[in-house]
Amino acid sequence: MADVPDYLVLRRHRDLVGRTWHPWVRRTLVVLVLAVPVLGLLNVFGQRPSTASAVAPEASLKVYSPTSVRGGLLFEARFHLTARRDLKDAILVLGSGWLEGMTLNTIEPSPVSEASKSGRLSLELGHIPAGQSYLLYVQFQVNPTNVGHRSQTVELDDGDQEILSLRRSITIYP
Amino acid sequence: MDVVIRAAVAFAFIYLITRVVGRRELSSLQPFDLILLIVLGDLIQQGVTQSDYSVTGLILAGATITLLQMAVSYLNFRFARLRTVLDGEPLVLVEGGRVLERNLKRERLTPEEIAEQARVQQIASLEDVRWAVLETNGQISFIPKQ
Repeated sequence: MADVPDYLVLRRHRDLVGRTWHPWVRRTLVVLVLAVPVLGLLNVFGQRPSTASAVAPEASLKVYSPTSVRGGLLFEARFHLTARRDLKDAILVLGSGWLEGMTLNTIEPSPVSEASKSGRLSLELGHIPAGQSYLLYVQFQVNPTNVGHRSQTVELDDGDQEILSLRRSITIYP
Repeated sequence: MDVVIRAAVAFAFIYLITRVVGRRELSSLQPFDLILLIVLGDLIQQGVTQSDYSVTGLILAGATITLLQMAVSYLNFRFARLRTVLDGEPLVLVEGGRVLERNLKRERLTPEEIAEQARVQQIASLEDVRWAVLETNGQISFIPKQ
């Protein structure tokens, strides 16, 4: 055994005694690494949009926006209102989760006015005649420091009267 | 704070993938591997600093990675059992001119690749090799027969 290089232990380094389980560690790690893109393809990490809707006798609302996003990404939220009766003063009220840690790039069409309603963003859309639709596009960017789970409620009012509300949430990955 | 956390996560991720990829792939960089490595570095940098262009951000991320590397190096030095986990262990590939197929298969190596590496070190035949060992850094060291 004198010709064995220093610090080589043949039982371990040639015969692999005590090392037979090592490949399983690597295989497990490979599966873990593989799981990440697979979950990505399954939209776990965003940002494929989905539709959430709410219906009331006066109007219906569809929100088309991603429920998972990642830091720094740009995304769009589309609010589709359909009036079933005349809405004299439609107001869309967005919960704080829509804006906390988000950069609001643009709102199209621009609302008539903006205000705060108990800490939520109130967007006055104006008059929507019965049977007509109103499509509001809002472009956001996630601030890189914004991480976690946030509630994104949407409420539709006609003046002071609440017509419907929609509960959804967003998960922000780092 | 977030830059430090992101840098630490990036460090752990790099460590994980280098252990997954295998020693041989990392030590023998073909042109494609080199480009892939540069692309990976760029992707990791974007994830760590994101839209932070400040010198403070650079120092925070750089210092975190440096400290973590020093910590791993110290753990390697201090704890022999941890060394096998963090760095791996040598693997005998050829003994007395005989190729150990089982060990080659374990590292996804072929006898042709071993022979190629032997030729690089002026050894014409694997029969002239007394020991060929895949070291923890991915290099194959050859000890020729006298």
